Amino acid sequence: MTTLHMNKDSELARFLNKLGKGDNIAECLTCGACNSRCTWFDGQGGPMPRQMVRMAALGLDDQLIKSGMLWDCLICNRCTEVCPMGITMDVVVRKARSLAGADDQIPVDVKKGIENRLELGDVNGLTKEDFVETVEWVSEEFVDEVEDDGAEIPYDRAGSKFLYLPNPRELGINLLHLTAMAKLFYATGETWTMSSSHTDVTNWGYFVGKDDIAQRMALMVVEPAEALNIETLVLSECGHGYHVLKHILPQVIGREPKFTVMSIPELVVEYAKKGVLKFDPSVHPYKIAYHDPCNIARKSGGYDAPRQLLSLCCDGVVELNPSREDGVCCGGGGGILQDSTSKEKRMITGRPKADQMKATGLAHIATACLSCHRQLGEISTHFELGMKVDTVASLASACLILNK
Amino acid sequence: MKDTSPEILILGGGVAGMSAALALSHRDILVHLVEKTDRLGGNAASWACMATEVCQNCGACLSQEMADLIKKTASITTHLNTEIKTLERSDQGMTAVLSGGQTIFASKAIIATGFSPFDAARIPSYHSDASERIVTTAELNTLIREDRLSDMLGDSPKIAFLQCVGSRDRKAGRDYCSQVCCKVSMRHAKKLRHLMPDADISLFYMDLQIMGKEARSAARDLAGEISLIQGVPAEIAAQKNTGKLTMVTEDPATLARKSMDFDLVVLSVGMVPPEKSQETFETLGMSPNPWGFFNTDTADPGPDVVVAGCAKSPKDILGARQEGQIAAATVLKALNLTDDSNTGIAVLGDGPDAAAIAATVSAQGYPSYLFGRGEDLAPGIEDLSAARMLSVDGTVGNFSIFHEINGRKTTLNCGAIISAPAPETLAHTKSVQGTVSLANYAKMPPADTPDNAVILLDYFGPETKAAARQALTAAKAARDAGKTVTIVMNKMLVHGPTGQQLYDRARKAGVCFLRYGDPEDVTITSGDKGFVITMQETTLPGHTLAVDAKALVVPDAIAASPMFSELSRLLHLGLDMEGFMQPANVRHRLVQSQRSGIFFAGPCHDDIDADDLNLEIQAILAALETGPLENGGNVSINEKKCAKCLTCYRVCPHGAIILNEKSRPQIESAACFACQACVSNCPAYAIESSGMANAELADQAEKGRTLVLACERSAALAAGTVSDGLPDNTNLVSIPCACRISTDMILKALINGAQRVIISGCHDGNCRSGEGPAIAAESVARVAHLPGMEKGRVSWQPAAANEPVLFSRIVSTP
Repeated sequence: MTTLHMNKDSELARFLNKLGKGDNIAECLTCGACNSRCTWFDGQGGPMPRQMVRMAALGLDDQLIKSGMLWDCLICNRCTEVCPMGITMDVVVRKARSLAGADDQIPVDVKKGIENRLELGDVNGLTKEDFVETVEWVSEEFVDEVEDDGAEIPYDRAGSKFLYLPNPRELGINLLHLTAMAKLFYATGETWTMSSSHTDVTNWGYFVGKDDIAQRMALMVVEPAEALNIETLVLSECGHGYHVLKHILPQVIGREPKFTVMSIPELVVEYAKKGVLKFDPSVHPYKIAYHDPCNIARKSGGYDAPRQLLSLCCDGVVELNPSREDGVCCGGGGGILQDSTSKEKRMITGRPKADQMKATGLAHIATACLSCHRQLGEISTHFELGMKVDTVASLASACLILNK
Repeated sequence: MKDTSPEILILGGGVAGMSAALALSHRDILVHLVEKTDRLGGNAASWACMATEVCQNCGACLSQEMADLIKKTASITTHLNTEIKTLERSDQGMTAVLSGGQTIFASKAIIATGFSPFDAARIPSYHSDASERIVTTAELNTLIREDRLSDMLGDSPKIAFLQCVGSRDRKAGRDYCSQVCCKVSMRHAKKLRHLMPDADISLFYMDLQIMGKEARSAARDLAGEISLIQGVPAEIAAQKNTGKLTMVTEDPATLARKSMDFDLVVLSVGMVPPEKSQETFETLGMSPNPWGFFNTDTADPGPDVVVAGCAKSPKDILGARQEGQIAAATVLKALNLTDDSNTGIAVLGDGPDAAAIAATVSAQGYPSYLFGRGEDLAPGIEDLSAARMLSVDGTVGNFSIFHEINGRKTTLNCGAIISAPAPETLAHTKSVQGTVSLANYAKMPPADTPDNAVILLDYFGPETKAAARQALTAAKAARDAGKTVTIVMNKMLVHGPTGQQLYDRARKAGVCFLRYGDPEDVTITSGDKGFVITMQETTLPGHTLAVDAKALVVPDAIAASPMFSELSRLLHLGLDMEGFMQPANVRHRLVQSQRSGIFFAGPCHDDIDADDLNLEIQAILAALETGPLENGGNVSINEKKCAKCLTCYRVCPHGAIILNEKSRPQIESAACFACQACVSNCPAYAIESSGMANAELADQAEKGRTLVLACERSAALAAGTVSDGLPDNTNLVSIPCACRISTDMILKALINGAQRVIISGCHDGNCRSGEGPAIAAESVARVAHLPGMEKGRVSWQPAAANEPVLFSRIVSTP
């Protein structure tokens, strides 16, 4: 048993205590509500939320780093939801992860991804040339798909209404997804473009809690978008990307962007409401469960658009129990999914989600985040749930009725 | 107008409203008691009795009794199913139109609209609608009352209590402590263990609010019986297949999360203003504070209105009853209807509290006598610090305190006595040298307080409200002056309306709070540079935390003083279980005693802080100004029969029998509680009452039938609300108190042919006259042990006014 010495003047305590109402962790009532809400539930290992807050508040920075809890935390903010003082676990944990002493705990893949992104503009190391080549090739396929010679996947087209910011996977292992998204833009009849200067909706600076990196990454999106003079930045389905670029962007870059931000499901719902986009739900003649990505739902308030869109594309949406504010993390949040060595751990953190999925008795589930999508797929296989996992926007694209 | 009696409007027929109405009923005043539901009694009327083998002092049964009294009081008009439609004010008072159409002109109004239990559905993570086994404290009361628990749960269920549901939650706009829930849950836990001895109970709390003497003994009793766990789960998952309720908690043993399954989870919900009360307040032109209460400066009740009970602030049943009486006195004072013949009040005890009480009493126009040492006495107080009291005689309005001053014996006559001696202060510095007293620390200018101070609470003595408040206030001030301050505690008491906010502000200001589970988890070493406090911090299991302190600040620990037993002897009044004054009997709590006109105030009888003390003095004066809630009984001594054996003088539990100038016993009506212990005990049958004599009571027995002699304050009231009625072969006779019972009465009833004789009355500890249950039990035992007596033919079985189901079972079970 170690003896700890309180240090109210530690780097972490100083930082966290100067934050405003809700983030001032000295206000912790030690009520213990957070402990009952961790996504790890009763799985082996994992963090104790109250211990993390208390160690931070008491200036036990080294102990907190040594505890190994920082990178086990999925920063899903399930605990935050019930905190009577409004203490935001996400802020506490990311700040602690950013301490120099915790650098060696950053997963190797996350480190590499950040380097790639900062140097090349893409976490997977895709260069500008690669981007152009890929998009032009996908564009040709796209023309065949929609049987319209005028169709294309445009890039760097200034003055477009929409700028689409894809997930890196859409330019690598999942090109079909890009085609599917292009189809949705095409059907809106509006001008749209992609950008060769930045190819990535992700912001792994957020995961490591380093504000300077998060800011640089966000500006890598914001500045080219502003240069292209677009109206609306449309985000690919990505949880933390949505949270950073839609919910907390002014905080991250220190100013308001000169464009509005929405996710692709939000855009599609808007055009469906206008009557521009129409869907054939008989393509998906089944009920489907919806998984709330924590970053989009609980952490950013984006509960409705994905559900509305799903209800247009399937035979009805079934809620997981619990869902929405109380939704259970897929088990892959907080950067853990980006760590290729985490599979075993993720099948512990994913068990509660698996239980929820199984309890629906359904064969289909959708979500609005490609990270959740991957984790849910792995859960479905690992726990032999036999559930097919889709993203909301790809389901929408698959049953889109194109006016020829 | 002047020729008619003043009329008072009381809104709300709960405990506070009923108490105010009864307190006003001794004057020539017409009371309109307006109640929106179809019955009097308020929330308390639906609570269950918490008694185990003994009364647990919740006071819920009092609500039934008060409602019954009001029905019998001609000057109180009760308007059920009624609300106020409109209210107009004028110089003379207010005109209220009731929802029934009736118009009332009232000089003053008392608002006692009460509270509602917090709606647990507002916290979705509990999923309270997912299972009928997730219940609120209110629903648990119903289950207990209706005797449905064991059918639902079996004999050995696992039960969890979750505290602070809807309380102490800034995010929900409820940054106040509801004051009562910890006490309620502790009582519930005891009751459940009583009903189901094999129940495995866990009580999850944030800070166990051990406030008041009843709570302290309850917590002590529970410590080995149930699991008391710091840290409250916020989510319940109902398992569809098993029905179990799963919660995840921190397991200090494994340093990890673990899930626990329960058969029943009780949400200990806080108190909120009733639904629609905001509309009522608007109709009345009142503006509550953002919580919806009237307990802070930001609330304004408006003119001619007094707010009482839980409408003002969350409080327990006894507190609400007390506040109703204070409200009545406030109204009387505003109408100039108070009694001008203020008799003197003697205050007994040394120390600042007694002196402050004497000063307040004097300022209110009462001649004030202080038997005790006090500094800087206010003018008008007669200083009797040099007196040694020899004996106290007499009754309310006419006490004689025989005392000796400088060898001269003399007598002081006064109308009332307030017992308020200071407790002992423990010299805890024996074990640790060089500590600073919290009282002294609090007096220092904040800038002069030592930097790096640790305030250690709950360590050298039990927690007190005053110490918690003093620690928070002083630590916050020192912190604001730039000092580093740490409070090391087992719990933080957040009493009063702003206790929670004060605690919130201290944390926000950077006062550091460390928590330990048991004093044994803390060690203190002192050296040249100060102290090192080494502890197992509750929130950091598996580690030892060391804190350096330049100064160690500790509150004075208090203990029972020898003066308590001395005064107890002089006043013929018992002590409580811890040797403090005043047994925890709800009939006389909070400030009264078994003897009319003798009161308790200050830390001699309870955990009292400055705010409480002020309220206590108001309550005492209110009791004197409004008179007793009930009149003495029509009991008199037939001098022709009286043998002057003085049995009555000895047995009277209320000191209501005095020896007159002819050395004959005489019953003082004002001090008599009409228990009739004297009637049943008089060997010459010389004491006569308007009720039945012993033989007449026995004559109520009929051949082959069951005679039930039921106390009119408990069992008889329960009998009146038994839903299916009593068995046909029952003869129910109401008696004034269980102490009315005597052996000869039971024997005569058996001789008269009674098949069974059941005596039923208040639970032990609940009897207004103290000894009723013991007297009845003993009388029954004497008869039951006679040779040839069939088992169960004669029995003593307590049942409270709010236990109709239990009473029905007692009478129906052969």
